[in-house]
Amino acid sequence: MSLLLLLKDELRGFYRSKVMIFLWVGLPLMAVLFQFWSASTQQVFSFTLLSAVLVSSIGGTLASVMLAVSIINEKNRHVYELFLIRPEKRWNLIAAKFFAVYICIAVASFLAIAIGIGTDCLVRDGASGTVLKDTLQSVSVSMSMMAVSSAAGVLIGVASPSVLVGAILVIYGGNQISAIPMIPTILNIGNASLFTISSGILISTVLLILAALIFNKKQF
Amino acid sequence: MVLQKDSNSRSFVVLDKVSKRYGSLLALDRVCLEVQEGEIFGYIGPNGAGKTTTMKIIVGLLSNFEGDAYIGGFRMPEQRREVHGMLGYLPQSVAFQEWRTVNHALMTFGRLSGLSEDEAEQRIGEVLGVLDLSDVRNKKIVELSGGMAQKVGLAQALLHSPKLLVLDEPLAGLDPASRYQFKQVIKKLAEDGTTIFFSSHILSDVGDVATRIGILNRGRVVSVGTLDELRSRFGAGNSVEIVLSHDSGRWQKLKSIKGVKDLEQPSPDKLLVHLQSEANVDEIIDSLIRGLLELGSRIRSVTLLSPSLDEVYLKYVGEGGRA
Repeated sequence: MSLLLLLKDELRGFYRSKVMIFLWVGLPLMAVLFQFWSASTQQVFSFTLLSAVLVSSIGGTLASVMLAVSIINEKNRHVYELFLIRPEKRWNLIAAKFFAVYICIAVASFLAIAIGIGTDCLVRDGASGTVLKDTLQSVSVSMSMMAVSSAAGVLIGVASPSVLVGAILVIYGGNQISAIPMIPTILNIGNASLFTISSGILISTVLLILAALIFNKKQF
Repeated sequence: MVLQKDSNSRSFVVLDKVSKRYGSLLALDRVCLEVQEGEIFGYIGPNGAGKTTTMKIIVGLLSNFEGDAYIGGFRMPEQRREVHGMLGYLPQSVAFQEWRTVNHALMTFGRLSGLSEDEAEQRIGEVLGVLDLSDVRNKKIVELSGGMAQKVGLAQALLHSPKLLVLDEPLAGLDPASRYQFKQVIKKLAEDGTTIFFSSHILSDVGDVATRIGILNRGRVVSVGTLDELRSRFGAGNSVEIVLSHDSGRWQKLKSIKGVKDLEQPSPDKLLVHLQSEANVDEIIDSLIRGLLELGSRIRSVTLLSPSLDEVYLKYVGEGGRA
C-alpha cells in the first residue's frame, strides 16, 4: 500500500517539474527534428529505431541526473527523516522514486517513438512488417536503456555524498552502463529485443537491489 | 532472540550505556536514561553535546551504536518498525519536498503512519486548528515562514496521536505566542498520557514544561532530575531579596545567622542574602526579618529567589557550555 501511495506522491511531484515539462515537449520535438536532419542522410536503421536510441539516450541521461540529484538533495536536506520514522519499509521510498521517474520518461519516449513510427510509415512505402519489427526493437531498446539509466541514477543518488560527485558519476558511469542493453541490437543478434529486455531488467534490478541495501544501512 | 523489557515497567524510554562514535569522535559516552510514560522530559546541553544523536538513536535513524535502547518495551534498532508505529518525531531542521502543500504533506505522513484517508482528513483539520494553521492548509510549505514550517513539522508529528513524541529543538524559530501555544499543546498531550522527550536551547521553556530534565555535556549525562533535584544536587541554593525602606547600615551582622552563605547590597535600598543549599528557608527568613528590625532597619518587602534553570545549567556544564 505504501509503495503505491509513495509512487502516486512522487508522480505528482515529478510530472509537473520543469525537467519533466522539458521532456514532455522536448523529446517528441527532438524526434521530429531528427527526422528532418536524417532525411538527407543514408539510412542503415529505421527512423523509429534511431529516434528511440536518441530519445532514450537523452531521456535516460536526464532521468538518471534528475534522480541522482533529487535523492542527494533530499538526503542532504534531511527530507527523508520524516519518512524513515514511519512503520514502512525503507526501500519503498527509493523504489517509488525510480518508478515515478521511469513512468514519466517512458510516456515521453512513447510519444517520441510514435512520431518515428508515423514517419517510417510515410517514408518507407508502408512496409508494415519492417515497421512493426523496428517498433518492437525500438521500444525495447528505449525502455531498457532508460530503466538502466534510472536505476543507476538511484544507486548513485543513494551512495553519493554530494550533487557534484553524483552528477559526474551519472554522466560518466551511468551512461556507459545504460548502453549495455543496446549491444544485441548493434551486433544484430537474432531475437535482439528479448536480449535487450532481459539485460535491461537484470541490470536495473541489480542496481536497484544495491541501492536498497545501501539505503537500508544508511545512518541518517 | 530479541530481548524485550518487562511490559509492566512504566519506563517508556530506556537507554542503557549507549555509546555512539563518529569516526574518532565519541559523540555519546555510556548514556543511561529512563523516561517514564506520560512524562515531559527536557534534554539540554551545549552544542555538540550529543542531544540530536541521542534522539536519532531513540527514533531509529541511527542504528550502529553500542549499548541497549528500549522504546515502549521494544528493542532498538531490531524492533524499529514496532517503535515507528507509536512514534512522532520533529527533527531539528524539518524539511519537506518543495512541491508539497501543507495538506498534501500531512495526508501522506498520516497515511504512512497507518491512518485511513478519512481519519487523516479529520485529524489534519483538528491538528491544524490547534496549531492555528488552518488558513495555510492549501499553501505550499516552501512559501511559509520558518516558524510556520516548524509548526507544520509539529503537526505531522502529532497527526497520528503517537504514544511517544520526540522533538528536537521544537521551539527554535517560534515567536513568543507560538512558544506559549506549543507549551500548552505538549502539556495537554502529556496529561493525556503521551510521553514527550524534547530538547531546547530556551532553558526557561524547558523549566516551564519539563517534569524532569536531563543535562548532557560532552556526550555524558551529567545529571537527571526535577528542577528542584538538580538545584539541590549541585548545591545551588536559594537567595532572599530584601527591599528596605530604611537602612541602619548594620546589615553585615546578619552573616552570623545559621544557613546564610553570603550577603551583598546591590543597591542602597536592597539586600541580597544567599542561602546555603541545605538551609531551612522559612526559619532563615524569620531570623533575617527579626535581625533587621532589631538592628533598626525597616523592611518594605521580602522575596525568595530560586536559581533559574540557566544558573543550574551553567553550574553543571560550565561557562563554556552555553546552550
